[in-house]
Order: sequence, then C-alpha cells, then structure tokens
Amino acid sequence: MSLDAIPIHVVGAASADAGLSGNAPPLLRELLDRVQCLLDHGESSSIDLTALPLTPADLDWLREKLGRGEVGVMLDAHGESSLDETACPGVWWVTHRNEQGATLAQFLEVTFVPELVRAQVEDVKIGSEYLELLIAQH
Amino acid sequence: MQGPLIELLARQGITRRTFLKYCATLASMMALPPSAGRAMAEAMAAARRPSVIWLPFQECTGCTESITRSHSPSIEGMIFDLISLDYQETLMAAAGHQAEEVLHRIMKENHGKYVLIVDGSIPLGLDGAYSCIGGRSNVDILKETAAGAAAIVAMGSCASFGGIPRANPNPTGAVSVSDLVKDKPIVNIPGCPPIPVVMTGVLAHYLTFGSLPELDAKGRPKAFYGETIHDRCYRRPFYDQGKFAKTFDDEGARKGWCLFELGCKGPVTYNACATVKWNGGTSWPVESGHGCLGCSEPDFWDAGGFYKALSMPADPLKLGAAAAVAGAAAGVAVSFANRAKKGAAKASHEKTTLADLEK
Repeated sequence: MSLDAIPIHVVGAASADAGLSGNAPPLLRELLDRVQCLLDHGESSSIDLTALPLTPADLDWLREKLGRGEVGVMLDAHGESSLDETACPGVWWVTHRNEQGATLAQFLEVTFVPELVRAQVEDVKIGSEYLELLIAQH
Repeated sequence: MQGPLIELLARQGITRRTFLKYCATLASMMALPPSAGRAMAEAMAAARRPSVIWLPFQECTGCTESITRSHSPSIEGMIFDLISLDYQETLMAAAGHQAEEVLHRIMKENHGKYVLIVDGSIPLGLDGAYSCIGGRSNVDILKETAAGAAAIVAMGSCASFGGIPRANPNPTGAVSVSDLVKDKPIVNIPGCPPIPVVMTGVLAHYLTFGSLPELDAKGRPKAFYGETIHDRCYRRPFYDQGKFAKTFDDEGARKGWCLFELGCKGPVTYNACATVKWNGGTSWPVESGHGCLGCSEPDFWDAGGFYKALSMPADPLKLGAAAAVAGAAAGVAVSFANRAKKGAAKASHEKTTLADLEK
C-alpha cells in the first residue's frame, strides 16, 4: 500500500512556501553546470537526490520547476522505475521504486540517454538464445 | 552452487538491467557517488558466495526479524539467499546433535574462510551461565567459532556494544563481540534493530571487493554510519533556521519542523535511517514525527531520557554562517532550559556525545 492511500487531513491553511527549506533552488545552478559539461565534453553525470537534505515540498518544487519533457520511460524491474525527461532535454528525473511502490532512490541524471534504458549486452545474449529456442520449435 | 553471482541471478530470471538498478540504489544507500553503481555491478556479478554462520546469543531476535522481514521478495533478499547461510538457529529446520554436527563440519571445511555473524551480547557473569546453548556458554561457542572465521559481523547494538543486556546495572555481565575477540576483523552493525540493507550492503561490499568496508572508530562501516542522522535529515534545514517543534502536537510539529528540542538524538547518532529509511523505504522515525533515540550508539539506553534535548548543538553547522548563528542560538536556549530542569549546571562540555546527555 502506498502512503497516498492514507487519508491525511491538513490542519490549518498551508502557505505557498510551507515545507520549503530553500535547499532546492541552488540545485538548478548545479544542473546548469552539469548540462554545460554534457554539451562541451559529452560527460554524463547524476545527482543523488536521496542523499540531499530536501523536504518532500522541496522535491515537489524542483519537479514542478523542471517540468515534463517529451520522453518518459517506465522500467519494470523488481518494482517500477521511471526515467522521465524534464522540460530541459538531457536532464532526466529518475525514480527507483521497490515492488511495494516505495521510493528507493531518486536521481537527476544529466545525459543524452540514461544507461538503464539501453538494453544490456548480457540480456541481449539471453534474448538471442530465446529466439533460437523459438526457431527450433518450429 | 559455485558459479558467479550473476549466473545465479540470471537463472532466477533477473536481468542485467535489474541488477544495474539494484546496484544504483545500493550505491545511493551506501552514500557512494552515483557512478559507483556500475563498478559495483561489474565486480559483484563475478563474485562467489561465501559460507556464513550466524550465532544468536543474548538477544531478542529483533535483528533476525529485521533482516528476514525486509520487504521480501526483494533483490536484497536474493543477495542474502545467495550467500550460503549454513547455520542459523532461528531459521534452520535441523536441531540437536545433527545441527551441531553440521556446524562443526562447516567450520572445518571452510576454516579461515567463513563469515561469522553474531547477534546478541555475551554474558560473562557466573562463568557465562546466564546464556547457554546445548549446555555450552555463549563465550565458549564464540571463541571456538571465531577462531576459524575470516571476518565477524556483529549484528545489532547488543553484539556491537553490549546493548540493552549491558544496560545499568548489567546483571549478566554482558559484553560485546569486540570485547572478547581481538584477533579478527570485526564489523559492527549497530541499531536496535539495524537496517536490513546495511547488512546486505556489508555483504555486497564483501562480495564486491573481497574485503570488509572501511570502518569508523567504533568499528562501523563508514558508508552507512559516516554521517549523523542530523546531517542527512530532511528536517535539517529547519534546525538551521531555528524552527523547532516544542511539543508533539504544536504548529511546529504539524509543519514538520526540527525535533531537536523534543529530545531527538540525531545530532550525535551515526546511522543511515535518514536516507535508507525503514519498512522498504516507507518512512523513518523523524518522518513519523518522533525524534531519533540514538539506538546505534553505545549505551543509548543509559544515555539519559529519550525526550530530553541534547545539552548543546553538536557541531553547529558547516553551512551558511547566518543560519549557523540562528541554529546555535536556539540550541543554546535548549541547553539552558535543560540545565534549569536539572537544577545544577554541568561543567564545560568539550564534545557532545550520548554520554553527555543530561539525566
């Protein structure tokens, strides 16, 4: 069961900046730096959001500011992972969840294509064996 | 089952991509740079499973509960399955003389190579008679088993530091593993109970690098115990801003402000709860609105009231100077409040540790 299923009644009107710590805006500058690095040297990098002291409101703020891009990838591998391009192409919001839907880790990846999207050579080999098996059966 | 780990995983239908995802999250939990996930995946894929013997001593089985009830079936659980857990009294079906025979056979066959996991403290009072298994005292069993171990993992606060059995007045004379075993590498994984993924993280490190992870002064893996709860806490910014909950139901508590004044031991507690969280990443004590009890520190049970604020801010901030002043000022106010309660001012504190907490 996800936390969303529990009804939470907020007491008192929340102001617009409730829960914001002020730690999110500097990340935009860091992202810019990394995007420049990607453009100039083709260097991919990522920021581990789980490791930073960000409140849930900070994460919402960041997510909203970065917006949604054209590509969203859903990875079903022992729990769902989403790899969503933000409105800034090359900046991906990556969320790894476990089978219960709880978030395990969140990254901002700055790269042309996140590595997890690519098929892995070892998996392709297993796939080719499966194809051979299918052919042998006919 | 001697093949590399990745072959065993592949046989279970786990793709390389899934494994990469696991390593990415594990690297994040181990506070490694995101790029480390790939390197870990490469090394761990080729690893072979070690033989593990797990001995319970003076304990409540909470540590075993924590590990075995970690959101299964998870890939951590699989990694855990992929060690050869050859002896675990709580989990194994065998009992009596047969079980003891197995234990001794494993110890002989894998002499110098097996990993020994211990949970629970070891009582020394009355020649160890307070806790015996099969008529033998814990201290005898530990010494015999430790002799052939490649490394020892002390699971939980009891095995690491003596824990609750060692609490004042320590009626059984309980001591930790490291009090008794001096000639083997020991990893302490304290916590009451410890976080499951820390256990798998240490095993993953052992599989990846063939050695134990880097340890801090208290023998804890730095990857998980390198920073305080406070430093990694999502409520930390409120501490910096001097915003504190004063009671468990006031406005500050509702707004999720810092729980420092309600006795949170986060500033002096080294553990990974703030990032790894509990119950499969669902939440953790501070997120649920309760301060940290400091359960991964030595003698946390005797360290003063759980709801007494720390006497002074520990290491007031490496962040912005203005914020530091606000946080420190608030901390000082608490310090004075506590002193008033106590009636007498304590002399100077040089370094805040749990032992410095005012009773």
